[in-house]
Amino acid sequence: MPAWDVLNAKHLLSRCLFGYSRKDLEKALSYSTVAEFVDKELLANRPLPVPPGDWITETPTNNSLEGDRYRTMTYWWYDLMLGEGTNMREKMTLFWHNHFVSERDKVGYPQHMYIQNNLFRRSAWGNFRQLTKDVTIDPAMLIYLDGRLSNGTTPNENYAREVMELFTIGIGNYTETDIKQAALAFTGWQVTGLNSVFNQSRFANINKTIFGKTGNYKYGDVIDLILEKPEAAEFVCRKLFKEFVFYKPNETFVKQMADIFRKNNYEIKPVLRFLLTSDEFFGAQYRGAKIKNPMETTIGILKAFDLTPTQMTPTADWAYIYSQTQALQQQLFYPPNVQGWVGQRDWISSTTFVTRGSLSDYIVNTMGNTRATQFKLINNPVNYARTYKTSEDAVKLVDDMVTVFLQFPISAAKRQTLISTLLGSTILANWSTSTPGAENQIKALLKAIMRLPEFQLA
Amino acid sequence: MNRKEFLQQLSLLSGGVAFGMGGTSVKAFAHNPFALNIEATNGKILVLVQLAGGNDGLNTVIPYENPIYYSKRANIAVKKENVLVLNSQMGLNPGMTAMKELYDSGKMTVVQNVGYESPNRSHFRSTDIWLTGSDANEMLDEGWAGRYLTKLYPGFPIQIPAQPMAIQLGSVESLLIQSDLGSTGVAFSNPTNFYNLVTGTTVDNEPVPETLAGEELKFMRQIATQSVAYSDIIKKKWDSAAKNLYTYPTTNLANQLKIVGELIGGGLQTPIYLTTIGGFDTHANQVVANATNTGTHTTLLKTVSDAVAAFQKDLEKRGLADKVVVMTFSEFGRRVTQNGTMGTDHGSAAPVFVVGSGVRGGILGRNPVLSDLDGNGDIKFEYDFRQIYTSILEDHLGVEAQVSRSIMGNKDFTGLPIFKMATSTLLVSNQDFTFDINAANPFITYTSVAYSLKKQMNVKIALYDMLGREVSILRQGNMGAGVYMEIIEGNRLVPGHYLCAMQCDAGQKVVRIIKA
Repeated sequence: MPAWDVLNAKHLLSRCLFGYSRKDLEKALSYSTVAEFVDKELLANRPLPVPPGDWITETPTNNSLEGDRYRTMTYWWYDLMLGEGTNMREKMTLFWHNHFVSERDKVGYPQHMYIQNNLFRRSAWGNFRQLTKDVTIDPAMLIYLDGRLSNGTTPNENYAREVMELFTIGIGNYTETDIKQAALAFTGWQVTGLNSVFNQSRFANINKTIFGKTGNYKYGDVIDLILEKPEAAEFVCRKLFKEFVFYKPNETFVKQMADIFRKNNYEIKPVLRFLLTSDEFFGAQYRGAKIKNPMETTIGILKAFDLTPTQMTPTADWAYIYSQTQALQQQLFYPPNVQGWVGQRDWISSTTFVTRGSLSDYIVNTMGNTRATQFKLINNPVNYARTYKTSEDAVKLVDDMVTVFLQFPISAAKRQTLISTLLGSTILANWSTSTPGAENQIKALLKAIMRLPEFQLA
Repeated sequence: MNRKEFLQQLSLLSGGVAFGMGGTSVKAFAHNPFALNIEATNGKILVLVQLAGGNDGLNTVIPYENPIYYSKRANIAVKKENVLVLNSQMGLNPGMTAMKELYDSGKMTVVQNVGYESPNRSHFRSTDIWLTGSDANEMLDEGWAGRYLTKLYPGFPIQIPAQPMAIQLGSVESLLIQSDLGSTGVAFSNPTNFYNLVTGTTVDNEPVPETLAGEELKFMRQIATQSVAYSDIIKKKWDSAAKNLYTYPTTNLANQLKIVGELIGGGLQTPIYLTTIGGFDTHANQVVANATNTGTHTTLLKTVSDAVAAFQKDLEKRGLADKVVVMTFSEFGRRVTQNGTMGTDHGSAAPVFVVGSGVRGGILGRNPVLSDLDGNGDIKFEYDFRQIYTSILEDHLGVEAQVSRSIMGNKDFTGLPIFKMATSTLLVSNQDFTFDINAANPFITYTSVAYSLKKQMNVKIALYDMLGREVSILRQGNMGAGVYMEIIEGNRLVPGHYLCAMQCDAGQKVVRIIKA
């Protein structure tokens, strides 16, 4: 069992949450073992959140409110991420959103995207078999991958292909014939109002041959046939590994995960628990090797400044995060295509890298700035520094802030640069948060820390 | 290093930015060993337009006299009277009036049935195949443009050219411009925004630990380096360009091409540009029922057609049309038989358009054979997509046949008669000396470089690692005319990439070698 110390706790939190605050870290370390923390906090079941509005049950009609409602729902999800505490349900909700992809521009009504988002949240670590079946006839998915239009005589292959290629077994484990036959089995489902309804007359009520087996299969049968293939468990476990550990998977370990996944009849929780308490997960080689996604970067900055959902003003603060995460290429409910966000190096381009830097500068600039229009409740720099016990010792303060903000160990030279940045024209012996100008020096330090490429690593 | 310091360093070095050159003595020579010639393409430029999602080729270049087309596509076929006639059999989608004009004036070549053996019908896999130039069953993580550019600039990434090697309009870097040595390009949507965003970005060249995280750090640093190095020149060239010589449509693709036109007009010498338009995955409702000359697909094609034609007109006004060629491509065509939802599922071969003043025009290839489809009901390919790449490399960008063959993975892809006349080969060796790798590469125990001198001159041949540090000097001195060879022993070299540079009074050349 991996040791439960600061380094390992930071690693676990930075991978399973959207960043963390010092309070979260203390809470994690109040448990005596990693397993205890994983069971009682990260994977603890919690009641579902209050929905983003009454409109979620409204029968879809074209009323030009879609744009505003998507915004409301996106801000609502930001709130849930920022307020997640030490529970990884929102991380898993995003994981499934990025796995069973639907895009708002094609789905249209936010009600449908809400129903799907709620399914992901309810099933965050439920049963993968059941989740895949539910997704197959989920209204948003029936719209997004054309299932609602498909019919038994001339089916549309869109969902049949993507469910195999991207959702369950991956390329190379099915034939074009399997896709064509599965497309027949998926027919009959349509969307009426907020519901999926089965229309027998549109269903291909005939025998289908999939993976060499023949029967008059329906949608659930296809999922069962797919999950009989050993590649399915490996496919999903590989994706979990890539999300939580490293984008180049350790195939031997993925097989161990898959073994557990199958033995537990595709229950997600046991495999997550296995992964998050394994020596592999805490391997030193993986520390700081994940490039944060834009939600981890932005929500993580807010958490590092101890901000909470009640301190956020949606129209100012969340609107800013919305525009910035959009620029960083991660708009919630709007993945780029059916493959979802690829992650890791795809997050970084000549434009997005520099945008990340301008974003952290911008947030720090609001500290102590009475004329700032965003993040009005963020601490002023001196008070923020004083939340660190070491605030009056420049070297220790730098070390402590680096501990909060960075997972990647920085070099002695960079540490020295950061210390000089904090000191400015002051000398070490004279450093105090009461020094005139300390405010700007603290801001300069915070900006410099977050401008380091190391800051982008979790 | 901040931008100012960085640019100072840039201006100190002729032709580009160098890293870790501090310990290298090049006093005997006028230039540093990696000085690169950005004009090696003679100013020729390739602009790619990626149609993401799988463009329905049969409803793009339409076999309007083929009864099978109308029987297999009863609800979605474009009627004969709506087709923009190219010849007695084929016509363009009614949305493509602007490209029809290009075709009529001989500025557009249509290459039919372009695909590859054992077509893959996954968007993502097939896109990778097109971008990397791989076989169907071959996984490459270098884009074909990335391979071209690292051949064009062998000093990369020790030294990056003074101007970007590739520019992508957008924010997620494409595999097209990736190489084993990192990204060869920059990605942005607007030069001014890009310039402003880069302000405040710092770059250091501290060694990174040899860990997984260190690799990711190195990757980010290289991206940041190029942002810092290029945001200035991009903005400067863009600012200096004449604007609005031609009015582009207001679509996103047209805007991308407008910026490309302005960058080229401003004198940026970047040889490769990538623009993208999505939405071609038309499984459902690609046409309007009973009005098949309208609908989603026609709108998309009109967007492409209008944008490309505007770009061509803009370049003509700038007097640069002979320098530039545009190629459209998509990961696959679509199924011949329509599905039941007024759309088409994933297919295989499809037409490619090559546009520019230098093309021959006309249609290449047979008309799609709809009576002899593959086992999946898709069109069999006639031309491998890499034949078009080969033509562009050799006949437009002026790459030697041997080099373009190696960019295409040392496989033979015969070029097609797309261009009026082949550009005289530009990547040729200097008249007064030659220098090249002469044995195994990659190598394990040893390899060698061979060189010849036409007259007596000063020569230095040295080996550098990828940080630009001189590993060893193979030869230095004044030498007479003749043919020579130097051995590079592998036993003292750590596996990886190295550069072997020859500098002499007549010029310099760099070759990249790999110790396995």
